[in-house]
Amino acid sequence: MLDVHQADVIFGLSPVWFAGTLFVITYVLIVTERLNRAIISMMAAALMIMSGVLTQQAAVKGVDFNTIGLLTGMMIIVGITRDSGVFQYLAIRSAKMVKADPWGILVMLMMVTAVLSALLDNVTTVLLIAPVTLLITDTLKLSAYPYLFAEIFAANIGGTATLIGDPPNIMIGSATGLGYNDFLFNLAPISIFILFVSIIPIYVIWGRKLKADPKLIQKVMLYREIDAIHDWVLLKKSLFVLTLVMIGFIVGHDYGLQPATAAMFGAALLLTLNCLPHGQEKQTELVTKSLNDIEWITIFFFIGLFILVYGVESTGILEALAHQVLGLTGGDKTVTAISILFVSAVASTIVDNIPFVATMIPLIKNMAVSFGGAAQLEPIWWSLALGSCLGGNGSLVGASANLIVAGFAERSGQPIHFLPFMLIAFPMMMVSVMISSLYVYLRYF
Amino acid sequence: MNASEVMDPHPTTLKPTDSIKSAAKYIMKNRYRSLPVVDDDFCYLGIFGVNCLLKQVIPKAVFMRQGLENVSFIHESLEDLFQRFAEVKDQPISDCMNNTVHTVAPDTPLTETLLQLYETRASIPVVESGSCKLLGMISYWDIGNKILHAGGQPDA
Repeated sequence: MLDVHQADVIFGLSPVWFAGTLFVITYVLIVTERLNRAIISMMAAALMIMSGVLTQQAAVKGVDFNTIGLLTGMMIIVGITRDSGVFQYLAIRSAKMVKADPWGILVMLMMVTAVLSALLDNVTTVLLIAPVTLLITDTLKLSAYPYLFAEIFAANIGGTATLIGDPPNIMIGSATGLGYNDFLFNLAPISIFILFVSIIPIYVIWGRKLKADPKLIQKVMLYREIDAIHDWVLLKKSLFVLTLVMIGFIVGHDYGLQPATAAMFGAALLLTLNCLPHGQEKQTELVTKSLNDIEWITIFFFIGLFILVYGVESTGILEALAHQVLGLTGGDKTVTAISILFVSAVASTIVDNIPFVATMIPLIKNMAVSFGGAAQLEPIWWSLALGSCLGGNGSLVGASANLIVAGFAERSGQPIHFLPFMLIAFPMMMVSVMISSLYVYLRYF
Repeated sequence: MNASEVMDPHPTTLKPTDSIKSAAKYIMKNRYRSLPVVDDDFCYLGIFGVNCLLKQVIPKAVFMRQGLENVSFIHESLEDLFQRFAEVKDQPISDCMNNTVHTVAPDTPLTETLLQLYETRASIPVVESGSCKLLGMISYWDIGNKILHAGGQPDA
C-alpha cells in the first residue's frame, strides 16, 4: 500500500469502498461512451481528491509525467512533420512500387502503416494513411473495406513492436524502466511475424478477388509522389529531429535519459528550427498551431486516469487483487503470464486498453515479491504489452485508431459495421494472441 | 433597415428532384453562382451552386473531414473530371446541395445581414421565421447596388 494520508470515512464509506465504487463507475462510464472520456477521468480524479482518498500532493505524485511528456513531445513532432507531406509521399510511393496492383497496394499500405505505427503512433498513422487509401481505392473503383481493415490490423500490430508505438507500451516502459531497445528486441520480432501471418486470412477473404481495370491502374501510376512533398526544408528539419529523437530513445536509456526527455527535447528543437526564420507574429501562429495539434483529450484522459488508479492503489485494493490473481494461477509465473496475455487481449477488445493497462501496472508490480523481485516480472510485462496492444484488433472499439478508420469509412460511404468487423477481426486477433502466448512460453520459460 | 428590404423577393429556384446535370447546365448557362432549392410549398431546403459541382469532380478523399490537405501529386485531365461528373449527373441535386448555409429572417437587421453575407461569401436565403418558407435571396449585387444608390447619386 502507498504511503499517503487518507480520510478514515468518506460519505459513510471506507476509502476502499469509496475508491472501488468510483473506479467501477468510471470504467462503466468510459465503456458506455456517453460522455467524453477526458471529462470522465478528470471528474474521477477530482472526486478522488475532494473525497480525501488522496491529497492534491499525492495525486500529483500519481501522474506519470514520463508518459505524458513522451506522448506530448511526439504529438508535436509528428504534427510538424506531417505538414511536409512526407507521409503521403510514402503511401503513394509504396503503391507505385508494386505497379499499383490492387493486392500489392494492400500489402504495401499494411507495411507502411505498421512501420509508421511503430515509429510514431497508431492514431496519427491512420489519420495520414486512410485518406490516401480512399483516394487510391476510389481511383481503382475498388471497395476500401479490405484496405481499411488491413490498416487497422497493421496499425495495432506495428504499435505493439516498440516503446512508443502504442500508449500501453509507453505506460509499461515508464512504470518499469524497460527501455526502447528492450521493447524492440522483445516485441518487434513477434510483431513482424504476426503481421505476416495476418496477411494470409486477408488474402483468402479479399485479396485473391482484388482486380482493377488497367486504365485505372495507369491513373494511379500517374500520381507524382514527389509533388506530395511541398516543404523540403521542413522535411529535412523534421527528419533531422526525428533521427535525433530515435537515437535518444535507443542510446539514452543507458545514460539515464528518459524517453519523455528525448521527445520533449526533440519537440522544442523542431519548434525552434521551424520558428527561427520567422518574425514574432508568425512564430506565435506556428507555435499555436503545433500546440493545437496535441490531442489534449488523450492527455487529460491519461492525467485523470493516473490519479484515479493511484487513489485505488493507495487503498490497497490492487494489492489484494494481485493476491487473488496469484491465488487463481497457483502462484505459477508461466500460468500468470499467459493468463494476463489472454485476459488483457479480451479486455482490450471490449474496453479502452489505456485504463486497463493503467490498472494492471500497479497490480502486476504487487506480484514482484511472490515471484522473487521486480526483475522476474519481465515476461509478465511483455504479456501485458502483447495482450493489450493486439487486443485492440478484436473489435471496432478496441483501439482509438480503429474508430478513426471507421470514421473515414463512414464518410466515404463504405461504413465498417461493428459486428461484421468483429466476426473476422476477433478470431484473427485470437490467433495473434495464441501465437504470442507460444512466443512468451518458448522465449521466457 | 432589415433583410426583407434589401432582398430579391422573386429569386430563381431549383427543385430537389432536378438532376445534377440539368441544374448544372442551368446555372452555367445563366452564370449563377448558386441557387436556392425549394419544394412544392416553397419550403427552403438548401443551396445548389458551383461549389457542389466542384465537389462532384474532385476526389472524395479531399472533401471529407480530415481528408487529404495536399493533392498536388494528382494530375488529372478534363476527361477524368468529366468521368467523375458522369457518375453522378443523373442523381437529384438533393444529394449534393448544401443545407448548412446560414439563413436570415426577414426582420434580421441590415448590419447582421451584411455580416452573414460576408461570412457566407455567397447569396443568403431569407426564410420566414417559424417556418421554412423562402421569402427571397440577398446577393452581393443587390446589397452593393443598394449601398451605392443610397446617397441618391449612383456614380458617387
